[in-house]
This record gives sequence, structure tokens and C-alpha cells, in this order.
Amino acid sequence: MTSLTTVPAPIGEAASPPGASRAERAGHLLQQHGAAIVLMLVVAVASLAFDGFASGGNLANLAVSSSFVAILAVGMTFVIITGGIDLSVGSQFALGGVLAAWASQYGWLAALALPLAVCGTIGLAQGWLIARTGMAPFIVTLAGLLGARGLMLAVSDEGSNTYLVKSSTFAEFGQGEFLGLAYPVYVALVLFGLGALLLQRSRFGQNTFAIGGSEDSARLMGVPVARTKITVYLLTGLLAGLAGALNAARLSSGVTILGVGMELDVIAGVVIGGTLLTGGAGSLSGTLAGVLLLGTIQNVINQIGSLTSAYQQVVSGAFLAVVVVVQRYLSRVQRLT
Amino acid sequence: MVKPPRRGARLRAVLAASSVALLAVSGCAKSEDGGDAGKDQGGQGQQAVQSTAAAGPTCSLDKFGGEKFDLKSAVVGFSQSEKEANPFRIAETGSIKAEAGKIGISKLRATNAQSQFSKQISDVQQLIAQGAKALVIAPLNSDGWEPVLRQAAAKKIPIVTVDRKINGTPCQDYLTFIGSDFVEQGKRAADQMIKALDGKGKVAILLGAAGNNVTTERTQGFKQQIQAKAPGIQVTFEQTGEFAREKGQQVTEQLVQSHPDIDAIYAENDEMALGAVTALKGAGKKAGDVKIVSVDGTRAAVQGIVDGWIHAVIESNPRFGPLAFQTLQKFLDGEGIPEKVIISDREYDSANAKESLAGAY
Repeated sequence: MTSLTTVPAPIGEAASPPGASRAERAGHLLQQHGAAIVLMLVVAVASLAFDGFASGGNLANLAVSSSFVAILAVGMTFVIITGGIDLSVGSQFALGGVLAAWASQYGWLAALALPLAVCGTIGLAQGWLIARTGMAPFIVTLAGLLGARGLMLAVSDEGSNTYLVKSSTFAEFGQGEFLGLAYPVYVALVLFGLGALLLQRSRFGQNTFAIGGSEDSARLMGVPVARTKITVYLLTGLLAGLAGALNAARLSSGVTILGVGMELDVIAGVVIGGTLLTGGAGSLSGTLAGVLLLGTIQNVINQIGSLTSAYQQVVSGAFLAVVVVVQRYLSRVQRLT
Repeated sequence: MVKPPRRGARLRAVLAASSVALLAVSGCAKSEDGGDAGKDQGGQGQQAVQSTAAAGPTCSLDKFGGEKFDLKSAVVGFSQSEKEANPFRIAETGSIKAEAGKIGISKLRATNAQSQFSKQISDVQQLIAQGAKALVIAPLNSDGWEPVLRQAAAKKIPIVTVDRKINGTPCQDYLTFIGSDFVEQGKRAADQMIKALDGKGKVAILLGAAGNNVTTERTQGFKQQIQAKAPGIQVTFEQTGEFAREKGQQVTEQLVQSHPDIDAIYAENDEMALGAVTALKGAGKKAGDVKIVSVDGTRAAVQGIVDGWIHAVIESNPRFGPLAFQTLQKFLDGEGIPEKVIISDREYDSANAKESLAGAY
């Protein structure tokens, strides 16, 4: 540990260096908090425009339905900051749900432990392949996407057998409410808090940023590159299993058609939240805003009864495009100065 | 330091942005040749009730525990399950919207889950939060409705599920199910298959999407009937085409490679049957070489009968609008509603395909 006396400050969260121009500081602000600013604007406009939007029930629904994507996005933020990607989370989410529903016949502990164990193992295997064999994360996790979905279909008779949750204690994890909000919302918030601590305040978090900034320099500085990478993929696997299990508890069944394309929603949320797809910069507060923004867009489009749901994808796609263009512009400004 | 080629970079960025927009636009513009399907108002091909499980218990407003309200001025929610990229869904949504317009329901809120189950759950929850007094749901999946059912039950909102079931207790979790008898559809498809093959041959099944009662029951009815009536027919191949045309084509392409001796195909919906036709054409087969029987009754499939590629089609009528709102109105008027309302479906074969073409959707 003494070899790392001067830890490089995490790039994404670094306070603007002294003497930075005003434009540059504005750029930093936009990158880190752009999604939060847009989110606040959208929420403000929607509350004024639609009666039902700001109602407690609607906001509670919005929070619950975003919480599962949010849990996955915590892990994805770590992965993307290292410069990687994890395409398998949607499939692992579905697998976790089916396993949890099946295992619930043996009690709530089994219903939680089995998805965590299986999805954790998949994450660990993916991380090992990426870190030790140098294979591209895209390909490894694409294999994971197919493999996890195949496994899910195998344990549910090609998806035709929907296991029902047998343990009412376990169902309570997804359905129980505290102050009008279902438990998964609190789980997501706690995970964001813990994740932010891990990312900003721990050596592991700093290593994550360092690898994404420049893997070679990180290695030369003595950062345990392989171990860190394996850990981040293990983390996404565990979180996907947990989110899947909580969702199964909420729905009281292991629905087999879930999670298709969900990884793209997660990635979109993370990127809109200001995490660079090229790695090295990003924050969990941004991710939270990004995920909530996507959920809010869906909610608002539904409020506008005359627009079909297809426009939700148009608007989300447009947001994503704008964010990527802005990021590219900002990173060029930073490089030039 | 060399300046980056700004113009090129900017152009790329603009291109990327516009291609995202284009993709999205072409996505929602995707429609079938029968795009006007939902619009036919002429009573032709409207649903008729076949049976209402008369012996079974009925559900009345008193028993359900709700309060009477005026359907016309209330918020009524409709949740569609799949992308409107196939004629069944187009006709279904069209029928609901047209009927709501006709009888004067001014606050119909329609959502489409785009085939994503979690979106459908949050769609319906949002409809409830928006104050929907009654819900018509075309469920994507039969299980997993717990959170919705709990919210609806707490507010005493009657739910009518159309075309697929929600697993739950009628009159408690939901009001009623309106749809076809899918086992019967499978049996009738088997009868047509037996006629087409003269009681013996090898049949392949293109299964629907997993996880809903339609696939299970259409398969079950078909197999039961074949076993009972024509033991000479063997089912030698079963694979899911997920109710999609391209998947049906892909599976059939593999089928003709691996089982060149196949005599007939039972497709659990028209889209897969049409995909199978394309695959058979590609493999150099002629119309009628492989008998195809399918379920749905879309215009393109009935045209397929006229052209000789498809042997017969069992109808599954998607025009749920009139029946759904009639049922709700009767319920609000205090009448007893049966726990399921089964509609009668027609049948198309070479004898009636030509003249029935206009009634198909």
C-alpha cells in the first residue's frame, strides 16, 4: 500500500484545477450535473402541465419502477468507469428473478442466496475472462447475455413455466412499504449511497478511475488492474441477481419474459448521467439522475395521452445523442486546454 | 499541437444524432400492409359471444364492492402489450379506440408496453395513479401482476383482461376475461390438419412465445385432438417462433434442412405462418407441398389461402372494443358478469377464403 502514496485524484469528480477558465468550470458542471438539471426541469414542467404527475401515487410508482434499473446502474457505472461494458445484466436480472421464485419454496434465505450465488458466479467468470485473458468486455458479456438467458430458459422449461413465489416473507421484500414507498426503492438508495462511498472514498474506487483513465499507467503505478476489473464485474453480477430477486418478490413470480434489452436502458441511464463511455470519469449521483430522467420521460409520455409510447424511445434516443455529442465536445475542450 | 479535423468530427456527430432519430422514426412507422385494419367499422367481422360459462358464478357490482360511475366521463385506461407491428395488435387497439369514440368515452388513456413486461406493469400503475376508474388490459404475460392487482383491488377498479388471461381470482383480482377459447382453436386447427393430411403424416409445430396461456392452450388443444382423432399423424418437430414473422421464417428454414420429409406445419399465429411460407418459397417448395394451418385470421394469411400456400386459418378475433365496453357498462348497471366471456371465432379455408377476405383484419 505504501507504493501508492500519491493517489491520482479521480478525474470525473476532480474539482476544477485552480486557474481553470470559467467555460471549463461550466463544462465540468454540465458533465457532472447535466442530467440532474434536465431532470429537475422536466419534473418542474410536468408537475405544472399535468395534474396527476406530482401526485404521491404517481411519484411512488415512478420510484419503484425505476429502482430495478437503478440497482443495475450502480454496478454498470463502475464497469463503464473502468472503460468496460456489461451487456449481460438484463439476462442476469431475468435469471435472478426465476431462480429466486423457484428457490422461494425453501424459504426467503434461499430465494435471496441462490440468485446472488449464480449471478455472482457469472459475473466473476466474466470478470476473470476480461481481466486475465484480455478479451473484449463487449464480447465476453455478450456471451454472458446469451448464456444467462439460455440458463433461465433451461430452468423454466423454455420459459413456459412461471414459478410462483411461495414464501410470503420473501414476497414482502418486494411488496412491503415504508412511508408509502416500496422497499426496493430504499434498497436502491442505500446501494447508491454505499456505491458513492466506494467510488469516491476508497482505494478500490480510485483504482477504478485510474484503470479507465489509462490502464497502462495504472498498471505502472501499481494498481491491481486484474483484481479491480474482476471485482467490478462480480459487483454487476451480484447486483443483477439482487435486483432480479427483488423484482420476483414484487411480482410474486419468476416472469420469464423480463429483462430483454434492459441492459441498454441501464447503459443509457449511466451515460446520460455523465459517465464517459470511454472510461475514467463518472459519478453515481449522475447515474441516479440519468436513470430517473429515463423513467420520468416514460411517465410523462404516458401522461400525454395522445402520444404513443413509441415517442418515449424517440425522446430517450434524442437525449442520449445530445449527451454523447456534448461529452465529445467537452472532452475536446479539456484536451485542448 | 495539431488541431483535430473539426469539420469531420462535427459531421460525424450530426450524422450519429440524426441516425438515432431516423431509427426511432422508422421504428414507429413500421406497420403492416393491413394498416387500415382497425378502422373497419362496418360491423363486418365483429366479435360475437359464444359462451359465457353460464353455469359458473357471476360477478356483480355489489359482490365486487365498487361504486357505480359514468363510463363516459370517467378515466378509462387501456394497456396494450405488444408493439403494434402485427395486424392483430393494430386491429385490437384500433377497435378499443374506435368503440370508445363511438360510445363517447372521452377520457380513454391508452398505453403500449412495447413488449416489455416491466413497462406494462408501470404503465398500468400509472393509469391507476392518473385516476382510471376502469381498466382494459391486454396482458403480455399471465403471471406477475401482483403489484397491479393489489393497487386496483385497493381502489376497487374493475379490470377486464382481453385476449390473454391474468392469473388471479375473478371478481376479486379482476372482473372478467374476454377472449377466445384457445384450446378450442387448437382443436379446430387439428381438425383442419387431419383433413389436409387425410389422417397421416409428419407435422411440425411453430410454437408461440413462452410464458402465456395462448401458446400453452393452442398447443394442448392441437395435440389432444390429433391424438384422439388421428393417431397416424406424428408431431416430429416443435420450436418457438415467438409469434414473430422473421422468427417463424428462420425456424422453418432450419426445419426444411433438418426434416426434409415434413408434410405439414401448424403455426400458432399467422405471422409465423407467413414467415414459414417465405422460407418454403426460398427452399424451392411449391404451394401446397407443405400444408400450413395457422390461427388468427389476418388478411395476409387469408390471402395466403387464396394463393394456395396456406391450407386453413382459424380465426382469433381481435376486435375487443364493443364487447369490452358493453361488459363494463353491464357491470356498472348492476348485472352479473360471468368470469369469462368466450367469443366465437370463424374459420377460413379454400371454400370461403375469397369472399371472406374483406372481413379479415
